[in-house]
Amino acid sequence: MPGKSDVMPCGRRTYCGRANCRHTAHCRKLEAQQEQAAAKSGADVHGPAQGRAPRPRPAPSPKKPLARPADVVYLYDGSLPGFYCCVYESVYSHELPLAIWPEDDAPPTLFRQKLIATEQDKAERVRASVPKKISAAALELVETVYLSCLAEKEIAMLRFLLLGYQRGRPVMQMLGHADVAPMLAAQKHLGGEAHLLLGFVRFSDYDGVLGATISPKNFILPFIASHFVSRYAQEDFLIYDKTHKAALIYEQGRQRIVPMEGIVFPKASEAEEAYRAMWKQFYNTISIEARENPRCRMTHMPKRYWENMLEVQDLL
Amino acid sequence: MDLMDKLTILADGAKYDAACTSSGADRPGGGGLGSTIAAGCCHSFSADGRCVSLLKVLMSNNCIYDCKYCVNRSSNDIARTSFTPEELAELTIEFYRRNYIEGLFLSSGVLRNPDYTMEQMIRALEIIRYKYDFWGYIHAKTIPGASPDLIWRLGLVADRLSVNIELPSEDSLSRLAPAKTRKAILRPMAQIAAGRQQNTRELAHYKHAPTFAGAGQATQMIIGASPESDYSILRLAEGLYGRYELKRVFYSAYIPVVEDSLLPSVETKPPLLREHRLYQADFLLRQYRFVADEILSEEAPNFNPYLDPKCNWAIHNMHLFPVDVNTASQATLLRVPGIGPLSAKRIVAARKTGRLGMPELKKIGVVLKRAQYFITTADNPTGLHTGREATVRALIDPGVYSAGMEQLSLFGPPGMGLPALPGPGDVATVAQAAEEVVACLAKAM
Repeated sequence: MPGKSDVMPCGRRTYCGRANCRHTAHCRKLEAQQEQAAAKSGADVHGPAQGRAPRPRPAPSPKKPLARPADVVYLYDGSLPGFYCCVYESVYSHELPLAIWPEDDAPPTLFRQKLIATEQDKAERVRASVPKKISAAALELVETVYLSCLAEKEIAMLRFLLLGYQRGRPVMQMLGHADVAPMLAAQKHLGGEAHLLLGFVRFSDYDGVLGATISPKNFILPFIASHFVSRYAQEDFLIYDKTHKAALIYEQGRQRIVPMEGIVFPKASEAEEAYRAMWKQFYNTISIEARENPRCRMTHMPKRYWENMLEVQDLL
Repeated sequence: MDLMDKLTILADGAKYDAACTSSGADRPGGGGLGSTIAAGCCHSFSADGRCVSLLKVLMSNNCIYDCKYCVNRSSNDIARTSFTPEELAELTIEFYRRNYIEGLFLSSGVLRNPDYTMEQMIRALEIIRYKYDFWGYIHAKTIPGASPDLIWRLGLVADRLSVNIELPSEDSLSRLAPAKTRKAILRPMAQIAAGRQQNTRELAHYKHAPTFAGAGQATQMIIGASPESDYSILRLAEGLYGRYELKRVFYSAYIPVVEDSLLPSVETKPPLLREHRLYQADFLLRQYRFVADEILSEEAPNFNPYLDPKCNWAIHNMHLFPVDVNTASQATLLRVPGIGPLSAKRIVAARKTGRLGMPELKKIGVVLKRAQYFITTADNPTGLHTGREATVRALIDPGVYSAGMEQLSLFGPPGMGLPALPGPGDVATVAQAAEEVVACLAKAM
């Protein structure tokens, strides 16, 4: 039974003593006040938390930025671990570079360049810090934007992370912040394109194997893979991404994404041609002439997807 | 007749059905062929801008009924054909494998009698579901007058069922579709609603109980073939949503396909703007917590052609505005013209980390074109002080002067002393009319 001595300074019955107890901070403040009062009056009012020395609280961190703008350009190998090493470098040398470019297609510049080597353990440390200091959603956001077509995405990702390290979890709610909004917009753009592509992929049957070509702006293969794998669990299929020169291959129940320079599909069989013709015919029949509205069609199905879509290829 | 010809005829007969949604069922692949996504998935968009999600065909266009408005009426001289269940099943599966479609939307003319037609449809769907182990989306249209046990069987193989209410009133129905009665349409609707409720309870107890019409039911009515007001149509829709728990009511602008003395003439353009307004109002009912009586009334029974229903409601309720985006509840934000469910949600999330001004709203993706006249923000605590006329000018739907050169309602002017829409091509009249409308609406504010 909780005795009178178990009553906390704030009046709560039990003292759990856990560091993350939401009453603890309040108690400590009260305790400190009581101690001060006791020191003045000379009486001991140190009741319940006797022997529990209040832990020293870390000094509130000054809100000065983690990194200061510097006239330097980072070059990295273009991989995600490579990017994390750039974050490491930026934080530990307290500098916010002008740009971060993959070394392969970096434009010539007069600014000082720093070649950032990729080291797995540094990358691992940075990656692990994101969910710990910000949130799991922030890590997902950064890794999604890495696959997006956002221009100068690396510097946007770095700025977001630096802000996140300072503000913590709430950074994901700061939808209107100049360092957060472009990240969310890029994520939305990628998500939107991935959703459209779920419908716009057109397979052809090549002797039992389904093959399709796409040319999206964002690298969306990892985002559409699970959908097609669950939908065509019994089939073998291949989706070739022409823009990013990669392919999603699913055969005998196993999926993988591999780099691929190009692909030549075999000639379509007679049955395949017949189904293609029927699909085109269906597509042309289903439209109502009295309601014709090409603008509306283009809004929903932008022309850049048409080259890979059987029914509208001919209209280009 | 080969499959290509059949497909052409039977897709042509089905194209006037408005719905082609594949939403409401969330079923990841189960090892067989196919899966469904809750949000639905559009696979293409036809030249009229409508989503092509499902293979929308008729089982047969050989119809014994003679509904005046229908292209498949028995007295119309067109080619007739039917799919066999096997043909249809194979076609669906082959289209689905190539990712052309999200599933099948099956409707039919009444072949011999309602029960025989339903049996044919059920056979086709059972082949697709059980022989090909198909897990994709199926939307089936029940045939009016079919027996209840067939409707039950259809619901076991389809995700969504629909019963077309066809026309907005009993009176129009008896004039234009003499073989169909209001009662025969509402009975299956009630049966499906009750069946779904019972099925939900069963599924709570028995995990493997068969699912009956898991994605709910929908309906469709034709707008502009009969004289009902927009108010009565909206009241009807509201009643259907409440009583039969419908997922959607679709409105289909009447496109004259046959000449008949009881119908608008063949030259009549389809009332697309009116249909658009009905869909806008329908969204207000379903997602914005409006009731029909707030949108329209006995005194103003038709939509304002110049303003969307939400703007129209707002300018007649200016005493409720402006609202403060930093304090207003989500429900209040939803009533601001230009702010939708997503924007409202984002505003509520974003304002937790700081007060919002116009630039922040812009960055989080709120479209301010209309909303700016109805809100106060951190950097603009008293709201915009533009005149009434400037507000109205910004709210007027630009579509009304381009696509909307048509008769909004067959029976009656827009009301509220508004001028009728100007004729097409007359630019001077349009500019003049726009000014007149602005003045008139500003006065009403």
